[in-house]
Amino acid sequence: MKSALRRLVTRPGGYIPLIWLMLLTFCAAFPAVVATHEPNAADFTAILEGPSAEHWFGTDDLGRDNYSRLVHSSRTAVVAGLQAVGTALILGVPIGLFVGYAGGWWDRIVMRIVDAVFSLPGLILAFAIVAILGPGITNAMIAVGILFALRFIRLTRAMVLSVREEPFIEAAQLSGAPTHTILGRYLLPNMYGPLIVQTTISLAAVLLIEAALSFLGLGVQQPDATWGSMLRAARSLQRDNPITPWPPGLAITFTVLAFNALGDALRDVLAEGRGGRKKAARRGVAVGLAEDAAAHDHEHPSEEAAGTGTLLSVRNLDVTVPTDTGRARAVRDVSFDVQAGEIVGLVGESGSGKTVTALAVAGLLPRGLAVDPRASITFDGRQLVGMTESQLAGVRGTGIGMIFQDPTASLNPALTVGFQLAEPLRIHGGMTRSAAAERAAELLDRVGVANPRQRLRDYPHQFSGGVAQRVMTAMALASEPSLIIADEPTTALDVTTQQQVLELLVELCEDLSMAMLFITHDLGVVAEVCDRAVVMYAGEAVETGDVYGLFAQPCHPYSQALLASVPLLDADDDRLVTIGGRVPAPNEEFGGCRFANRCELAAEICEEGPVSLKPLEDEGRLSRCVLVDSAPANGGKS
Amino acid sequence: MVRTFAYRLAAAVPLAVLVSFLAFGLVHLIPGSASETILGDGATLEAVAELDRQLGLDRPLHEQYWNWVTDAVRGDLGRSVITSRHVSDTLIERYPVTLSVAGGGLLVAVAIGVAGGTVAALRQGRLTDRLISLGTATGLAVPNFWVAVLLAFYVGVQLGWLPAVGYVGPTESLFEWVKHLIMPSIALGLGSAAVVARQMRGGLLDVLDRPYITAARAKGLRYRRVVVVHAMKNAFIPVVTVIGFQASVMLGGAVLVELIFGMPGIGVQVVGAVLSQDLPVVQGVVMVASLTVIVMNVLIDMSYAYFDPRVRLA
Amino acid sequence: MTGAPNRADSPLLCVEDLVVEFRGGGLFSIGAEKVHAVRSISFVVGQGEAYGLVGESGSGKTTTGRCVLGLQVPTSGRIQLGSDDVVELRRRDSGALHRRIQAVFQNPVASLNPAMSVEEILAEPLRRLLGIRDRSAARRRSKDLLDEVRLPSDMLDRRPTELSGGQAQRVSIARALAPEPSLIVLDEAVSALDVATQAQVINLLADLRDETSVSYLFIAHDLAVVRHLCDRIGVMSTGEIVEEGTASAICHTPTDGYTQRLLAAVPVPDPTVKRVRHGLVNS
Repeated sequence: MKSALRRLVTRPGGYIPLIWLMLLTFCAAFPAVVATHEPNAADFTAILEGPSAEHWFGTDDLGRDNYSRLVHSSRTAVVAGLQAVGTALILGVPIGLFVGYAGGWWDRIVMRIVDAVFSLPGLILAFAIVAILGPGITNAMIAVGILFALRFIRLTRAMVLSVREEPFIEAAQLSGAPTHTILGRYLLPNMYGPLIVQTTISLAAVLLIEAALSFLGLGVQQPDATWGSMLRAARSLQRDNPITPWPPGLAITFTVLAFNALGDALRDVLAEGRGGRKKAARRGVAVGLAEDAAAHDHEHPSEEAAGTGTLLSVRNLDVTVPTDTGRARAVRDVSFDVQAGEIVGLVGESGSGKTVTALAVAGLLPRGLAVDPRASITFDGRQLVGMTESQLAGVRGTGIGMIFQDPTASLNPALTVGFQLAEPLRIHGGMTRSAAAERAAELLDRVGVANPRQRLRDYPHQFSGGVAQRVMTAMALASEPSLIIADEPTTALDVTTQQQVLELLVELCEDLSMAMLFITHDLGVVAEVCDRAVVMYAGEAVETGDVYGLFAQPCHPYSQALLASVPLLDADDDRLVTIGGRVPAPNEEFGGCRFANRCELAAEICEEGPVSLKPLEDEGRLSRCVLVDSAPANGGKS
Repeated sequence: MVRTFAYRLAAAVPLAVLVSFLAFGLVHLIPGSASETILGDGATLEAVAELDRQLGLDRPLHEQYWNWVTDAVRGDLGRSVITSRHVSDTLIERYPVTLSVAGGGLLVAVAIGVAGGTVAALRQGRLTDRLISLGTATGLAVPNFWVAVLLAFYVGVQLGWLPAVGYVGPTESLFEWVKHLIMPSIALGLGSAAVVARQMRGGLLDVLDRPYITAARAKGLRYRRVVVVHAMKNAFIPVVTVIGFQASVMLGGAVLVELIFGMPGIGVQVVGAVLSQDLPVVQGVVMVASLTVIVMNVLIDMSYAYFDPRVRLA
Repeated sequence: MTGAPNRADSPLLCVEDLVVEFRGGGLFSIGAEKVHAVRSISFVVGQGEAYGLVGESGSGKTTTGRCVLGLQVPTSGRIQLGSDDVVELRRRDSGALHRRIQAVFQNPVASLNPAMSVEEILAEPLRRLLGIRDRSAARRRSKDLLDEVRLPSDMLDRRPTELSGGQAQRVSIARALAPEPSLIVLDEAVSALDVATQAQVINLLADLRDETSVSYLFIAHDLAVVRHLCDRIGVMSTGEIVEEGTASAICHTPTDGYTQRLLAAVPVPDPTVKRVRHGLVNS
């Protein structure tokens, strides 16, 4: 909370509104100090004057000083805001906590009423309340406070419901924490942020209502001034003295703006405190890729003559991400090939850069991430680095199909599966609507979805995870691609479903002679489906080779350790080999090998300089380790 | 379609009943009785009791409510305590004006809000986005009655481009009707436009983050098509909710704005009634305005089914 | 797994004919179809034993775990902890139940209150369940607990958001160990972790069992992980235990058809086995 406050006052969105609100509070507390005149003192020698040294904002029809009246009005605004929002908080938060935590009938009845009253026009209800209580600001503001309490009931209840589902609440129960402790120590502290934000926004809204009531003459009565009543008077005075509507209007606007801005700044600050800093670099369009790259010429170092069957060739791929301390390299100097019809695995732990590599190949990097223009990605003879977004779209639509990790989230919930399947067929294949529907049904049939024709009319939420992944696969096939990029396609699925989907993918690759770039963290899956694999660690490809050699004799110490840490069904030894420490973040730089600080074999030579990916004696195998030359690889499991 | 509408409308009946409780309850929360208000401070107790009997105020509460509500359903909302006119006559005469202003405001809010929010989201982080953000922040803060006062004076009186006061019905002259509604609608709609724009921007950015957008791009669709076909419909779901809320904000705001533009809506009546505690009028206005919002919400609910297929099948 | 099978002879946890039903449909749908999450299962966890419940999503394994923890009231059946009935004990004195049964959940970071420091998180069970109110005593004990899970004591001042997944899961384990329970329910406790981190936590759990003779009810979908940690395994499918046996018997000589399918589907990190591709070549 303290650091959140510091972050708040160091940003303009935070301190500018704070300064304004502090000024306002000071005016409200000591209006006589700030004002230059008695606010209600009429001076018939100075009626409707324009701004002058004596009267900064001019005078009204009774010769009263507009500036002083404005200053004195701030008290009404502040007091009204506090009365209303105070009432709202005192009523709303406890009721919301109670109905959220108690649930059941209490919850249903209270929320029915809240929803009902909420859907009614607020200002008109406020009129009704004033009609009952009679004009006057305190009554009206308490009534408005009761209306605003509904907002807090809703918010608090919604937060209780979402927080109480968190596992840490159950853990607290297991730790023996009683109900009042769970409410006070576990639920409330996790709700301060949204509550504070709602409070500032409510203050802004209440201020507008108070001004509106005063403007209609239903609030504070003459001769005392409020911003609203000054505006009311200004309506008839502005013809003679055009300045009159401006000071009160601007005062209201700035104050409401200040509350809203403060609320926004608080929301941002609190989101960052929750580790939501990543949100700053929102996922979006990879416009950066094409634009950054277009400015450079392409000289691709160390490009070996790709074999005749090479479909995809990645050379020296670097992808940078924005961080607090400048751009960091999430993918570093990655090179590999995919031959036509071949299945290549890209395997690594989280943070290894495997998914970013795959997305870079497809030109689908999230916003903010950019491919270093010196890299080379050639697909089917075409250089993808430097292509514009629409050129890339053309490549994706005709040559590359993609399958993603979460199949149900990767289908658009608002469109039928048939529409989504037929879309690329109509756009890239130029098919008619009916021909596309026919072909879409064929595709669904091909991936083993039962009743394909009927299912075309279904929406994604009507499919189970496994079937949804089959639909995604059908969609990837629609463009008759020569390369499928599958990003953890079975991670979200149960193991028996996983096996079915893997079988389908492999079968399709063989039948349609497609190549596949298969991204996974599961070494078992790599062994099951891939011809070759690239092991990635901390953004680098540390070892590549065909799977038989790689699993039998991993060369790089990381590959060795990773393989040894996999629990096996038929192992004799219960003890798993572990790697100490953790994967370094993209912005962590080392003088030498990136694995050295966790490597059991590490020697001085490892720290001396960057290590490059070198061919080994075995054909087609590469490793990024200075020690591999001198120490021939022995079996992975020791 | 019609059947769904009827069904949903029927489902809203409990809400309408609740509203009628509220509106009816008003009378009995007031210190003193309607008779005292009518007769003034100097009235004798006997006179008050006599009037109470005439107005039926001496009967048990549930009986009074029943009479009131059955009358209301028949279109009889009672008479003004001050002018003795039928409240329903006043409403039939004046409510269309208020509805026109509220409708115009909603139109401005949706048109500007959706367009502004979409442009801001697609230009995220750039100058256009920042300008729109500044605009929405201001729009949220500027009181609509101030904008109305300034517009009426500068555009209406000083420049004389548009009528500063008055109203012409659409049956009289469609052109004049629109002309008279432009400024009130803008004054009323700008604040809500800001709310809609914020939600639209946030919603669209949120949707553009989703895996299915990446998947749509992976199919090789042009970005424009991805946004229009795959993102907009999903992004609109929360926007529809916000528009529903704004509909009720518009109705309250219209009362204010029409006063400033000298339009013969319910505004003058209701403010006068509030000041003079003319409760039948206040009751009638609360009732009619709330029912309008309820019908509006039913329409909004139905539109979800178009945007979100999960609702349709649920 | 030394001499493990005999541990069931002195039962710690006895689950008998456990049935859990949820009412399906919406709030107002009267007479809606009942969903059987768990249909009559029985198993025993011995003193110091690690028992694995394996199944795919929807098999009812998590619901079973929640019943054992007293977080879910069973529709029928008995859960016996030593000589006490869990449902009854929970109603009478939930503190007494949770001194003896603790849990570690799947999502490491979400299992820790973001508003509390590690020290406060560990102090909670010490204060509530063991009555250690003295701050310095609690701090000393918390340091010991961190030491037990191989975390440095300077972690006490950290907040959950500052921990990696593996560290957070160790803190959760330390919290579960705090009241020195006789049984810990591990609900997918390692499945959200990366391979290397997962191996560390699996080894840690194995070591802790050797050191403290705590029992585990290990709930997971990954057979290989369960085999590594457990003495006996029950395989669950659609709310029933379809096969039960020692870990090696289940993994090497499964008799039930579902268990066989499940085993066959587990990917093996050895390309010479390569069943997915071989299956195709053969067919």
